[in-house]
Amino acid sequence: MNDRMRVRVLLLRVVVLSLLVTLGARLWVLQILDGDHYRQVAETNRVREVVTPATRGMILDDHGQPLVRNRTSLVISVNRSATDRQPDRGKAVLTRLAGVINTPADDLVKRIRFCTAQVKPPCWNGSPYQPVPVAKDVSPAQALAVIEHPDRFPGVSADLQAVREYPQGSLAAHELGYLAPVTQDQLDKQGDEKGYHLNSLIGVAGLESTYDDQLRGTDGVQRLEVDRFGRVAGTASTTEPASGDHLVLNLDLGVQQAAEQALQDTINSLGGGSRTGSAVVLNARTGGVVAMASLPSYNPSVFVGGVSEQDYRALSDPANGIPLLSRVYQGSGAAGSTFKPISTAVAMQNLGARGDQRFLCSQTLQIGDQIFHNFDGESAGPITLHQALVISCDVIFDQFAYDSWLGDGGLRNGRGPYAPPKEYFVRMAEAMGFGRGTGIDLPGETKGSVVDRADAKAIWEELKDSYCRRAKNGYPEETDPAKAERFRKYAAEACVDGYLYNAGAATQFAIGQGQYLSVSPLQLANAYVAIANGGTLYRPTLAKAAISPEGKVVQTFQPHRTGTLPVSPEILGYIRDSLRGVTTEPGGTGTGVFADWPSATIPIAGKTGTAEVEGRGDTSWFASFAPANDPQYVVVVSIPDSGTGAEYAAPVAKRIYQAIYGVGQPAAQPGGRPPGALPRINRDGTIAAATTSDPLRPLGPGGTSSAVTSIPAASATPPNSAGALLPALVTTPTKAPVTTPAVTGAPTSPPSRAPP
Amino acid sequence: MNQDVGPTALRSSPVPVRGRIGQLRDRASGRHSPLRRLDWTLQLCVVALSGVGALLVWSATRQRLGEAGADPQTFLKRHLLNLVIGLLLGAVATVVDYRVIRAYAPFVYLGSLVGLVAVLVLGSTINGAHSWIVLPAGFQLQPSEFAKVALVVGAAMILGEKHEDRHTGIQHSAPGHADVLLVLGLTIVPIGLIMLQPDFGTVMVLVFTVLGMLAVSGAPRRWVLGLVLCGVLFGTAILQFHLLASYQEARLTSFVSENKAASGTGYNVNQAMIAIANGGIFGRGLLHGQQTQGQFVPEQQTDFVFSVAGEELGYLGAAGIVVLLGVVLWRALSIGFGSQDSFGALIATGVVCWFTFQSFVNIGMCLGIMPVTGLPLPFLSYGGSSMFANMIAVGLLQNVRLRSRSDPYAM
Repeated sequence: MNDRMRVRVLLLRVVVLSLLVTLGARLWVLQILDGDHYRQVAETNRVREVVTPATRGMILDDHGQPLVRNRTSLVISVNRSATDRQPDRGKAVLTRLAGVINTPADDLVKRIRFCTAQVKPPCWNGSPYQPVPVAKDVSPAQALAVIEHPDRFPGVSADLQAVREYPQGSLAAHELGYLAPVTQDQLDKQGDEKGYHLNSLIGVAGLESTYDDQLRGTDGVQRLEVDRFGRVAGTASTTEPASGDHLVLNLDLGVQQAAEQALQDTINSLGGGSRTGSAVVLNARTGGVVAMASLPSYNPSVFVGGVSEQDYRALSDPANGIPLLSRVYQGSGAAGSTFKPISTAVAMQNLGARGDQRFLCSQTLQIGDQIFHNFDGESAGPITLHQALVISCDVIFDQFAYDSWLGDGGLRNGRGPYAPPKEYFVRMAEAMGFGRGTGIDLPGETKGSVVDRADAKAIWEELKDSYCRRAKNGYPEETDPAKAERFRKYAAEACVDGYLYNAGAATQFAIGQGQYLSVSPLQLANAYVAIANGGTLYRPTLAKAAISPEGKVVQTFQPHRTGTLPVSPEILGYIRDSLRGVTTEPGGTGTGVFADWPSATIPIAGKTGTAEVEGRGDTSWFASFAPANDPQYVVVVSIPDSGTGAEYAAPVAKRIYQAIYGVGQPAAQPGGRPPGALPRINRDGTIAAATTSDPLRPLGPGGTSSAVTSIPAASATPPNSAGALLPALVTTPTKAPVTTPAVTGAPTSPPSRAPP
Repeated sequence: MNQDVGPTALRSSPVPVRGRIGQLRDRASGRHSPLRRLDWTLQLCVVALSGVGALLVWSATRQRLGEAGADPQTFLKRHLLNLVIGLLLGAVATVVDYRVIRAYAPFVYLGSLVGLVAVLVLGSTINGAHSWIVLPAGFQLQPSEFAKVALVVGAAMILGEKHEDRHTGIQHSAPGHADVLLVLGLTIVPIGLIMLQPDFGTVMVLVFTVLGMLAVSGAPRRWVLGLVLCGVLFGTAILQFHLLASYQEARLTSFVSENKAASGTGYNVNQAMIAIANGGIFGRGLLHGQQTQGQFVPEQQTDFVFSVAGEELGYLGAAGIVVLLGVVLWRALSIGFGSQDSFGALIATGVVCWFTFQSFVNIGMCLGIMPVTGLPLPFLSYGGSSMFANMIAVGLLQNVRLRSRSDPYAM
């Protein structure tokens, strides 16, 4: 071997060495620098999670009556990681199972396949290690057929699962809300933070959504170690599910029932169809929501196990009145004369009117070339503001609004010496909470609208092009030529001077008519709360407290003040006194309705309203509070497309008061006030009712000083005989995978009766 | 061995009478004893690698065997048996003077071609390649492994001959054009046969081995460069015109296209990388790697055996294996360096190129920097033919070492 060859061998050494160093370096990167990343991958590679859903907390009314609870359902599930390993991939087992649960085998196959971008429901979007529920609410006989023959049904299990139940049917559906499976988006964004899992159910509407964190609890997670073939090699860790907290509401079942029933009867008398109506009862001292009814309603149980597309379409169909929408807080309209107490506040607080001063309630009022008629065209002569409210005289408030408008420079639109415009009526409306959300603990609240001079101009800027186009082209799609011409004229005017805040709009505003003020029944009720309690605005709140499954109060939702009215207490007192006259004094718009009411013991203050709606019937309003001298409850009723406030809304309000105070029936709110104590929830899920803590005013039954009565129906006794079946299943010495989820609120012992 | 040491001769011998065993002992332990002259570092490293390999193969297979109801130690025992048989074959390759082997090189070469033809006729298909002849008692023979040895010996014979320049008459050791062409011809035949199996990995081993031997032998530079260029063009053409079976192409391209795929070829590599990274510095401990024991890495006792080391022995163990391989290659090159003739040096070169390429591609594959080619890791991967061929190669190295003029340590 010569030297040149030796040199080449040396070169080969260098090549070999560099290759080995490369391997060593790469190994270093992989094992030490990137190690953590790959260890995580390895973890997800071999650890599979099996989730035991936590039992959701119940939702109870102020006395502890369950509005939402859980019932147990016998569910048959197929464990794919077991069936896939069978020689025929579980085909024989599924065919046998299909026979037991009376479902086509094809259906079963579809249900247990995994959802992907291509595979759409029916399919399973949970973990492959999670048993796939294929039949809910099966009979005990069917469950036993599966459990007692593990040889014939390997990989199939039957167990008890908690399912949401609504013992009151559609009652308070808009407030309770419903659950839906978590979306991939939510899972990606909040999955870790909120503890969501694949196929978790989360609240997506109503209280179920707002208080989802409290109600949901923490899912139990069993982390299984598996090998490449998905065979379970061991358990890495197990966390037991922790049930969610129960939510106690300010809402009262009895008042709610009365409100919904009264509304329903009224709507039925009007002819039903797509008619709507709403009523809200607030605690005047705290803003607590005692009742909140909107019709049409729906039964939230249609959402249990997934709403069908057909059902969902029906619930959002305008021809049915869009049952999903709550008219109390998700819809708004003109307030009609129920706004007049607020205008009264402006007149006295801002425009210098005195309570004993008399103003002319003439038949008509001419402003420029427009003539404003008093409601029903009556003249009442010179009267005080008190009387103006009692008989609901429009002209006096029109005059105040006109004066105020002139003070702001009239059509000069608040420019020059009039800048900035004072706009007393608009500002007072805003101070009452209109034009913004009340902050109620429900999602999707409407803000309503309050339009001032600047807003009107901004809106016009946005719409003027379309006005001007319409002024030129008219409304060819409108069949009625007269109507089309009217629209065109309006568009032509709006095109030219639509930015002007004219006297008509200003006067309409003061009597709750026109386009510039739109309020939800909840907003109006909230404003009346402030008027009733002497000027404090509260955030309306449904939730009163959260109680742990062990019965401990974990959270109380205190009244939350959101503002103070810029109105002196004397003026508010004057207004309250005037409103009391509406139901008691001769000529009062509500006197007829409340003629047989025990006004001496429970005086009611209220204001009727009849809001004109373009193209439809008037909206009937009644806004009120009681007792007038020491207000506890505010009741607001709104029935669109009906008639005057006295005709339709006021009688509904009266029926609600009857239920609250127990006039001619048992009192829903014994003592005329909400229960002071919280219901007591026992460990076994039974509930000891809360009654009023004020023993001095025992009105109606249940008002005994011992504040506890048992509510046997409150617990979630399974409707089928699963409860009786369960102990038998547990002791069956088979290898059947029977699991017994700890269903809090599902007692295994009969409800205990509280000591007398 | 031609000395008569019979009892009759002993009596007339002037040297002190000693027992036959004593003589052998002297011969074995003496200063010029062949046993002393063996490269024990090389041998120890090879046995150590094979021993570690046995443990890794055991760890990778015992779970699966146990679940199948077989003896969990089957692969461990077979790997050790292969090692023993391999060491015996290596001893034979050491004892026979390599100059004798050179004389018989044509027969060795032809014998390997017979094996390659036989596998095409009699062979069974395992993992998409028609590379095995199944023998009774559960043994399998993979002739392409032996073809590596045969080609190294054959090419070394031709490239290592003393060459006489036809014009000047000067003798020099660099091969001429005719020699290069002959070697290429000798190489193309087994490559063609192996391509028919097809076993692309082994073909690449042969190509790189012969290229390395040509380069070291001092063949004309344009041949070496030209062949490298041809290789590049050929490789490009293969991928461009899809000349490979689709599974082979998928293997090659899967590592280029950042295998995110959790299935197919990318799956193996992905799982192997996860396993290795999971080991960290100190490893999870033998028989305690979750990836390995969970059988996430397919082919783990053969092509992906390094991933067992990575996960269970950690960086220390896996890098230790690389170091041991490095020592083996280093010693082999030293043997070549110290060889008294070109034939011995080229044998060593060929073995080094073969082992280096196979080790780098195999480990690189497990680490995600080389394509999946289905090459075993020398000494560590389970496989009889591979073990035998490797041990014969080591035997040849020892053979060259024994017959070196100078002490390679003197370099």
